[in-house]
Amino acid sequence: MCVGLSARVVRVEEGTALIDASGAQREVSAGVLDDLEPGDFVMVHAGVAIAKITEDDAQEADEVMEDLL
Amino acid sequence: MNESAKRARDIITGYSGRPLRIMEVCGTHTHEIFRLGLRKLLPPQINLISGPGCPVCVTAVGFIDEAIWLALEKGCIICTFGDLIRVPGTEMSLAGARAKGAEIRPVYSPLDAVALAKEHPEKQVVFLAVGFETTTPSACLAAKQAKDAGLANFSLLTANKTMPNAYQALVGSADAFLYPGHVNAITGNATCIRLCEEQGVSGVVAGFTASELLTALAVTIRLLEEGKPFFRNCYPRVVRDEGNPAALRMMEEVMEACDSEWRGLGMIPGSGMKLRAEYADFDARIKFDMPVITGKPNPACRCGDVLQGKIRPCDCKVFGKGCTPLHPVGACMVSDEGACAAYYQYS
Repeated sequence: MCVGLSARVVRVEEGTALIDASGAQREVSAGVLDDLEPGDFVMVHAGVAIAKITEDDAQEADEVMEDLL
Repeated sequence: MNESAKRARDIITGYSGRPLRIMEVCGTHTHEIFRLGLRKLLPPQINLISGPGCPVCVTAVGFIDEAIWLALEKGCIICTFGDLIRVPGTEMSLAGARAKGAEIRPVYSPLDAVALAKEHPEKQVVFLAVGFETTTPSACLAAKQAKDAGLANFSLLTANKTMPNAYQALVGSADAFLYPGHVNAITGNATCIRLCEEQGVSGVVAGFTASELLTALAVTIRLLEEGKPFFRNCYPRVVRDEGNPAALRMMEEVMEACDSEWRGLGMIPGSGMKLRAEYADFDARIKFDMPVITGKPNPACRCGDVLQGKIRPCDCKVFGKGCTPLHPVGACMVSDEGACAAYYQYS
């Protein structure tokens, strides 16, 4: 149940966001994220967008490993 | 695989130092490390041990008994995350209660349970609110939505838990923790930083992709070699130091800390969350005047020792024999995030 779903925001209306995860769309709550906009990427958990994210984990790996040097 | 991930892999496979115990606090980490085949990269002296970070697994037997009481004695519709349905209670699971006529509905989100209550005003709908800081905001949102809508037929049976006091209970059980990325997405990193600075507890926040798990393990190994306590955020694309302030504010508004029983760890003071008095109308225990219900776990089950990293699932006598995913004896064999289920499926 802790598996998050990363998705792209398609539309935001009155505290609800329509998200697209690899083509599958569903409405989730945007109630705990301020200033969400179409095109943002979010981590969704149990029907709630809990964090704005960047999509690319390769760039993240570069940053984390660079920091290790 | 990019160059950084390859370098991380080389650090892991090339390790030749002292034996290390690294705890996957989060059950999804246990599952993903198995599923991605990363365990096969580990040299023998690196021992990954499972922790208590599967919300279903640490939910006490008595909570299942309480849910069954609501379903069978009070006729409530029980809405729950699907992994709870087959977790054994003292006499039966929720699946067993369903066979006796109870209405048990799996839902993806607590907000789906609120929608169901709106559709069925003639029925009482109870959502089983389990989970850590990652999941608790969704339960709080559900309570707020129900209150705003004036719903008289929706309530929560809460067993929400928080991680800081569990970390305290686990201090010394591993050389380093892989902290659960999605908990930290809500809470931020302050607790982990404090554990490092004040008690010398080492750990890294880890994500869930192959690249993220490789880099988190490599950073952990390299910094353990250096020998000084450390904290690193290896999941910065999702986790910020401050976490999600709006979610934290909402949790503070709707819920408050309480003592909570953890399967395996026992009662940990201040490690649970319950609805505040302002939301008492949505607290199923109060609403239905529930008696005190104490569960009795199966004595053959050693989920408790597994959840503390004291034994591996395969060290339990019933693992793979009396206890399988089809016929689970303990919660760790039921949930996809459970260590026993992961060992059974992949090892």
